[in-house]
Amino acid sequence: MTMAEATARSAGPRAPRSRASVGDWLRDHPWIWVYVGAVVMWLGISVSNGRLNVGVVGAVFALAPFLVLVGIGQMFVITLGPGNIDLSVPNVISLSAFITTQVMVLNSGNLLLGFAAAFGIGLAAAILNFAIILGLHVPPIVATLASGLILQSATTVFAGNGSSNPNPVLSDLTHLRISGVSVLAVCCIVVALVFSFVLHRTVFGRRVLAIGQNEGAAIFSGVPRGRVMFMSYAISALLAALAGLLLGSFSSPSLALGDPYLLNSIAVVVLGGSLISGGRSNLLGIWGGAMFLLLLNTLLNTLNIEVATQNIVKGALIVLVLALVGAEKRK
Amino acid sequence: MQLMQRSVSSPRTQSVVLRRIRAVDMTDLLAPAALILLIVVSGIMEPAVFSVSGLNLVLSSAIPLALAGLSQMFIIMVGDIDLGTGFFVGLVSAVAAVVMVPNPVLAVLILAGLVVFYALAGALVQVRRIPALIVTLGLSFVWLGIGLLILPTPGGQVPNWLIELTNMQTPFIPYPILVAAIIGFVAYLITIRLPYGAILRGGGGSPESVQRTGWSLLKMRMIAYSLAGVFGIAAGLSVGGMTASGDPQASANYTLLAIAAVILGGGRFDGGKAVPFGTVIGALAISVAGSMLALLGVPSDYQTGVQGLILVAVLAGRVITDRRRP
Repeated sequence: MTMAEATARSAGPRAPRSRASVGDWLRDHPWIWVYVGAVVMWLGISVSNGRLNVGVVGAVFALAPFLVLVGIGQMFVITLGPGNIDLSVPNVISLSAFITTQVMVLNSGNLLLGFAAAFGIGLAAAILNFAIILGLHVPPIVATLASGLILQSATTVFAGNGSSNPNPVLSDLTHLRISGVSVLAVCCIVVALVFSFVLHRTVFGRRVLAIGQNEGAAIFSGVPRGRVMFMSYAISALLAALAGLLLGSFSSPSLALGDPYLLNSIAVVVLGGSLISGGRSNLLGIWGGAMFLLLLNTLLNTLNIEVATQNIVKGALIVLVLALVGAEKRK
Repeated sequence: MQLMQRSVSSPRTQSVVLRRIRAVDMTDLLAPAALILLIVVSGIMEPAVFSVSGLNLVLSSAIPLALAGLSQMFIIMVGDIDLGTGFFVGLVSAVAAVVMVPNPVLAVLILAGLVVFYALAGALVQVRRIPALIVTLGLSFVWLGIGLLILPTPGGQVPNWLIELTNMQTPFIPYPILVAAIIGFVAYLITIRLPYGAILRGGGGSPESVQRTGWSLLKMRMIAYSLAGVFGIAAGLSVGGMTASGDPQASANYTLLAIAAVILGGGRFDGGKAVPFGTVIGALAISVAGSMLALLGVPSDYQTGVQGLILVAVLAGRVITDRRRP
């Protein structure tokens, strides 16, 4: 283990144990708030329905996996530190949804080929992003924005060839619920646990955190910055492509399929208590953030608030949460 | 006060002189070179381009883009980035198309309020140290939402004076070039000629030294963001005038094209450099490139992708010409 990785461990989010108080505990577990918020949203829905609505939790739970997958990828990129963000995810999702459904239709419903296509799209997007960022010395914001436009154009061209029906097997699978609990969502909890392990317990994850905490120190202590960056952007693109594959089967491919995931994927990271300036992230918050956002959506819908206002609420919410939390790094 | 200004501006003057002696900064030549090349190439493809009316046509979309680019330039100059430019321009066009004719006073109040919004965003970025990209990304959805509330479907009635102002024809010099020169000059006055321009540039390039010489970074950022708001409003009004309608969503791609204009014009992502004329020329070049795609018969499906490729090409050109590697 290198120096930076050792630092990453010692600078972890744990306060000295001797002076533990409720305040300290809350500060070390920032994801609590988003779960509190989710419960408040649920109570709001229940009040407007006039009864404790348990069914809505199950419905929202079944919708969450897509956002969680994209959010996990976005989190790895954001953890890399200031300026790192993946703005191409919505376009990767839409492109992947179109291509994978078509691939599966053309190959008599071969699921494996669909997943292979999603993998290929994700990898291609990651290479495109990474080539622009490192090759042209461009901030990731602009690089991923540019590659997003290129991917969007590819989607438009591809969609012009006519869209295909979602794969029936995969569609059933994404809708499958056992006693009201979505199987896909349970799988996604396992995925989140795996990535939590990757982030906190593997050399790669430590290196991501180390770069996010102090890039200079990480490089000096031998962290291969380029490789770690590429892998983070690859995780983001691959998970977005996977989400596109599943989402395309859950509903059906459309040009605007990925659009809500730009703001939402960043929102779940921020709301979940990960630092927007990188170096400290948690997977529990991603799930909480996804549940909160989807419950908020449901609440706004039950209150008959139109989409335009929903945009304002969500945009303002992110700015407001950040204004309250701030983005200063812990020393 | 006087002393401080001298201490801020004198090293810069010196370095400019030194730089001129050594060599011209190649990144500053990128935009003019691209513009001339693109005009010549499209002129070869379609000779009518080499006339006043031809240039008028090829450059017609350049003015809103130049204004949006200057708005973006003020933000990039202080080291930030604005992901809300496109939807902000759309929102202003919606205000112009819905509110301005029946209630001009209210329209002015709304637009003034938007500038205050921008200033507050700048304050937020400065005080809470939140990355500008997140604040402006969040705000972009607020702009879009307000725009759709005001004008759910494209259309509306833009005041006649605005339509006339944006669609004027001038003899000898194409109108877009004339307007481009004027707005570039205004931005040049603000960023280079006004004493406070040095603070704005310094605030992006070296915030510590600006702060140590006693200037408020908070005020600096609020002013830079307000200026971005003012130029963004001008961009929105010119879009509204040229299309004679409002549309909250149609100018979404202005965000990226405005960034491209600034970078093509020689701006730097890490701030500190004001490139008013470069940005305007960059915007002219990008809109000629757009017209050229139409001349070439590139299908509209590909246009978004080509815009992305243009940005990548611009950035590649900058890497080649920029000897000061970051």
